[in-house]
Amino acid sequence: MSDWRYVKNDGGNGHPLRRFVDRIKPTFSEGGRLSRLHSTFEGFETFLFTPKEVTRQGAHIRDAADLKRSMITVVVALMPALLFGMWNVGHQYALATGEHLGWMGEWWFGFIRLLPMIVVSYAVGLGIEFAFAQIRHHDVYEGFLVTGIIIPMIVPISTPLWQLALAVAFAVVIAKEMFGGTGMNFLNPALVARAFLFFSYPTHMSGDNVWVSAKHFGDALSGATPLGEIMTSTAPGVDGLLQNMSYSMMDMFVGVIPGSVGETSVVAILLGAAILLVTGIASWRIMFSVVLGGGLMGLLFNAIGANAYMQLPFYYHYLMGGFMFGAVFMATDPVTSAQTNCGKWIYGLLIGAFAVMLRVFNPAYPEGMMLAILLMNCFAPLIDHCVVAANISYRKKRMK
Amino acid sequence: MSGIVKIRKGLDIPLGGAAQELTVDARSVAEYAVKPMDYVGVVPRLLVAEGDIVGAGTPLFEDKNNEWARFVSPVAGRVKAVVRGERRALLAVVVERDESVPVGRNFERDTVALDELSREEIQRVLVESGCWTMMRRRPFGTVPLPNDHPKAIFVSCFDTAPLAPDYDYVVQGREEDFVAGLRVLLRLTDGKLHLGFHKGQHLSERVPEDCRIEKHVFDGPHPAGNVGTQIAAIDPINKGEVVWSARPQEVAVIGHLFLTGEYLPEKVVAFAGPCVASPRYYRILAGAGLDIVCSEQLAMSSNYRIISGNVLSGSRIAVPDTPLVTPFIGAADDLVTVIPEGDYYEFMGWLMPGLNKFSFHRTFFSGFDKKEIRRQRRRHRRSVREASRSFRLVPNTYSFDTQMHGQQRPLVLTGEFEQVFPFRIYPLQLIKAAVVGDIELMEDLGIYEVEPEDFALCEFIDPSKTEIQHIIREALETLRKEGV
Repeated sequence: MSDWRYVKNDGGNGHPLRRFVDRIKPTFSEGGRLSRLHSTFEGFETFLFTPKEVTRQGAHIRDAADLKRSMITVVVALMPALLFGMWNVGHQYALATGEHLGWMGEWWFGFIRLLPMIVVSYAVGLGIEFAFAQIRHHDVYEGFLVTGIIIPMIVPISTPLWQLALAVAFAVVIAKEMFGGTGMNFLNPALVARAFLFFSYPTHMSGDNVWVSAKHFGDALSGATPLGEIMTSTAPGVDGLLQNMSYSMMDMFVGVIPGSVGETSVVAILLGAAILLVTGIASWRIMFSVVLGGGLMGLLFNAIGANAYMQLPFYYHYLMGGFMFGAVFMATDPVTSAQTNCGKWIYGLLIGAFAVMLRVFNPAYPEGMMLAILLMNCFAPLIDHCVVAANISYRKKRMK
Repeated sequence: MSGIVKIRKGLDIPLGGAAQELTVDARSVAEYAVKPMDYVGVVPRLLVAEGDIVGAGTPLFEDKNNEWARFVSPVAGRVKAVVRGERRALLAVVVERDESVPVGRNFERDTVALDELSREEIQRVLVESGCWTMMRRRPFGTVPLPNDHPKAIFVSCFDTAPLAPDYDYVVQGREEDFVAGLRVLLRLTDGKLHLGFHKGQHLSERVPEDCRIEKHVFDGPHPAGNVGTQIAAIDPINKGEVVWSARPQEVAVIGHLFLTGEYLPEKVVAFAGPCVASPRYYRILAGAGLDIVCSEQLAMSSNYRIISGNVLSGSRIAVPDTPLVTPFIGAADDLVTVIPEGDYYEFMGWLMPGLNKFSFHRTFFSGFDKKEIRRQRRRHRRSVREASRSFRLVPNTYSFDTQMHGQQRPLVLTGEFEQVFPFRIYPLQLIKAAVVGDIELMEDLGIYEVEPEDFALCEFIDPSKTEIQHIIREALETLRKEGV
């Protein structure tokens, strides 16, 4: 043996926490007392320390990025909308009651309202994910990090916690784990949770009495969203419609309007979009094409102009409801969207177009975004199939 | 001369420790190994026993499935060991050089005769000398089969992989051999001989004009230098078609054989990487054991990995606790890369800003630095001087090691492979088809056009840490064994 040969690393880097983890590790390993919590333990372990796993085959060096990093970037991108949403919850309460809280007080009010929802969402969802990971003997995947924070952001603030828990459980089990878990689902789990609530408890999910939180948890004050106002408006013509609206365009752009926590502020969502686009996590093709699709459909309706809603300037659709939130955070979910670059354009355009169409045509549901995305989730594989088929036929033609 | 082929998709990885243009003669190395694992799908039939005396060019083993694939000793000497692994699989035949043994047979060819030889005779000489195994066929990446009719032969005369040798430099002094080798290759096909060069390559001027030799100039990041990329850009492979390829130094060995009648598998290899004390070139014979080189170039007792080939698609050599601990260079490789092992924990590694970590993705700040990397690379190519310390967002050097930087996950993100995969193929869809083993779909999506190394960058950037090259190799082997 020559002297240049190997000495094994001692493994740890002497971090005190690492020593603690190493000490309790045998308890959770195969044969240990708590081996049934193995996946859970490993989930926390890899959260604390990047594992010392080295490459075995294939490329000997690997990119520094992993799925944890990608997911946490999306969570960071959601932060502006979440923080603004918390303030807006308090602000809407203050507006409705006339109580003076100050902006810190308003934010705190919203934070206290929202915190239980986030905790419930994560606890239920991660609990199920950990259980499935243990049953299937695989690691805990990071997908729910994003879903868990999105769900409280897209439901009314007055949603009862038990309903929220039920919706999260339904979405994770039926829409995700049943198809094999992270990366295998074809419907966006967060939207499935919202759809579940929407169809199961419609009285808690729409109307004018769910969007503004009252003093007590679960209670709500009256306050209509712009979409709701348009839906119930009886004023003739688009001018009457706009005059009757209680919110200015600026209100809607900044987000000081009633609505789901995360969806109201276009400014905060655009900040998140900037983060997603700069880091390249979300597809700019989808984001851009959803906006384009919505705009084109809006313009088409403007041109037809058969009723007041059709005459509504197309850009109002961007400002109202969950259009922008859906375009930035939901339509771009890489698992449930189209996977080919060309497919992404088609997918996005149709989402935008359908969202606006559903809003204008459907008398029962004021918001079209959720259903448009879920619908296109179903069609995404078909779109990809067609795009890939074009590649296949190019290859076959070349052969001749 | 055709126009410039611009390769837009890809990525240059700024791995430190490039070889200086300085060659050390290491032809006196004592031990050599020929390894079946260096070739795809070889079922070896051993032809020698321990202690046998062999000449340079004496077959050591052959492929049971391909009678033309004979694997020969690079030097004259004695068979020192027949190394076997699990279930007695042949890992290597080790030959120890012995000066007293006659060099070996002479193939009695002369320059004039080259153009008068029939194709059959050329084939016979290549097979008997073992030079046949220096070519590779696509699909499947095996040694060419006797009944192959290649529609074209490709030689990529530059390499864009991290720390790859400069072929202008390594072929220096053997240009005549190289050109003669090209003439030999030209006789093996009725189609064209395509040569890939990068801009301003001197070697291209030495190649004579011929209506069947086409020179192409490529410009762009890695994998522009991969022969697969060049095939796809020039004349993609359809189902049922066969294309051969060879590497410049092997072409020179073939040329040398036909010019002098001597089998001399000489090559200049780069010994490079962040762990190497003074990265430089070594003149060796194929299959050399680099024990001496390692002991003078590598620090004592540190934890590193020796890779024959580049870091993306090379193979690990001198693996501890296996029968083969001597670092024998792989048959087709002209680069040895040494990088540190990465078996350490990192506290909250996924959360840290990661300024010294290289990433294709812009979730790390270093991911923003691609323009600078490309500029450096260009500068680097012009003169092998370490890039100057201009202003940079991130530090000058990235630390690369064998850390996975995460665990394997399902394929979640989309649209990223496409950015480093310059084929008219949907990479993600092809990988998925390979995972489920859908043969028809794989064929439709273009599996015959690719080799695992073409997916190396996809594997590198994949945040889900999928073993893509392994998946593609398994799929290709399935197809090959099915005989489709």
